Amino acid sequence: MSKSPLSREELRDIIDLSLWVGQLLLQHGADAERVEETIHRFGTALGCDWIDVLVSPNVIAITTTSGEEFRTKIRRVINIGVNMFMISAINRLSRRVAAGELDRFQVRSEIERINNTPPLYNRWVVVGMVGLACGAFSQLFGGDGPVFAVTVVASSIAMFVRQELTRHFFNPLLVVIATAFVAGVVAATGVHFELGEQPELALAASVLLLVPGVPLINSAEDLIKGHSVLGLTRGIVGGLITLAIALGLSLALRLIGVDTL
Amino acid sequence: MNATDWAILMVRDAFWAAVAAAGFAILFNVPHRTLAGCAIAAAVGHMTRTLLTQVGVDAQIATLAGATLIGFTGVAFARRWRTPAMVFTISAAITLVPGVVAYKTMLGLLELTRIDPAQAAPLLADVAVNAARTAFSLGSIAVGIAAPSLLLYRQKPIV
Repeated sequence: MSKSPLSREELRDIIDLSLWVGQLLLQHGADAERVEETIHRFGTALGCDWIDVLVSPNVIAITTTSGEEFRTKIRRVINIGVNMFMISAINRLSRRVAAGELDRFQVRSEIERINNTPPLYNRWVVVGMVGLACGAFSQLFGGDGPVFAVTVVASSIAMFVRQELTRHFFNPLLVVIATAFVAGVVAATGVHFELGEQPELALAASVLLLVPGVPLINSAEDLIKGHSVLGLTRGIVGGLITLAIALGLSLALRLIGVDTL
Repeated sequence: MNATDWAILMVRDAFWAAVAAAGFAILFNVPHRTLAGCAIAAAVGHMTRTLLTQVGVDAQIATLAGATLIGFTGVAFARRWRTPAMVFTISAAITLVPGVVAYKTMLGLLELTRIDPAQAAPLLADVAVNAARTAFSLGSIAVGIAAPSLLLYRQKPIV
């Protein structure tokens, strides 16, 4: 299949759009394979002959080729946090682009719209539901009513603290330590007053809101599929987050003077 | 246990797994229309794991089975709701995280900094066992939810 060669201008636009899409995916928790495939599908659907993609932990680099012409560009990527809406919306967009429904100008305004969509859930809904989710974990672990109540309170407060600290640009690991500490203090108070049958279950359940599930799952998936550098980096990030949880929790336990295990 | 006890245990398990998955789904900002799918996938997967551990299967094998079921449920939902499977599988798989064992590993590890070396042996053994259980459970989760793409939806790499 031969496509008509694109002008320098068109090539520039397409490389920009493809990079933007890749950046949004990588920033919000997609695995390497999804990033590579989406960029490739995007660029070729918009008229390039070929796209080469390099996905590394902090940078995406791509080269677009069309006829005799080629262009290369890199873009820095930071990790913002998991956002499934973003991944889902980009997926839909890429399917429409592949079907030839949109030209590059429409694509640009669509990406802008997706990028500017505010969070789907109100922050207080998030606080309440995350509290409830950790409470649910305490039930799965075999806790009773009082343990459930302590867990819900501890993790809701912790989630609020996490939102506030994140909003003020504290270092992500520091946020994790502080959040685990807050959850730990509330849950350890429950242990101190012996609320419920096995109050230490509240300690284990109330820090689960911090569990680095996405980095660890993505890490394993990237490693399995041969994206070793990204996989290792994500594994280390997951390990550090776990360590930060332990630090915050153990500070809380020593402060309240609770010895469990 | 008789049949009623089993039924109560399973329904309770499925219910709380669904609540936990819905909470994490909201934290991960999933599209509204996919929330129910996340909860259902978690209920199915977690209930399977509980059932298997109750009849004596190893925790890690049971986790692998539960996660694999979540993986395939996610693919089915992805077709139905026209959205990537990871939207469902990640929120649901979080419910399989071995929270208590991971907690014991973390605190045991930090406890090692304070203990008299002569008395460290039992604690060291505890930490090693718990760490192994945590690591292999996490590995099972990841392999399980990747199972559909590893086994069925193979394709020639396009990039």
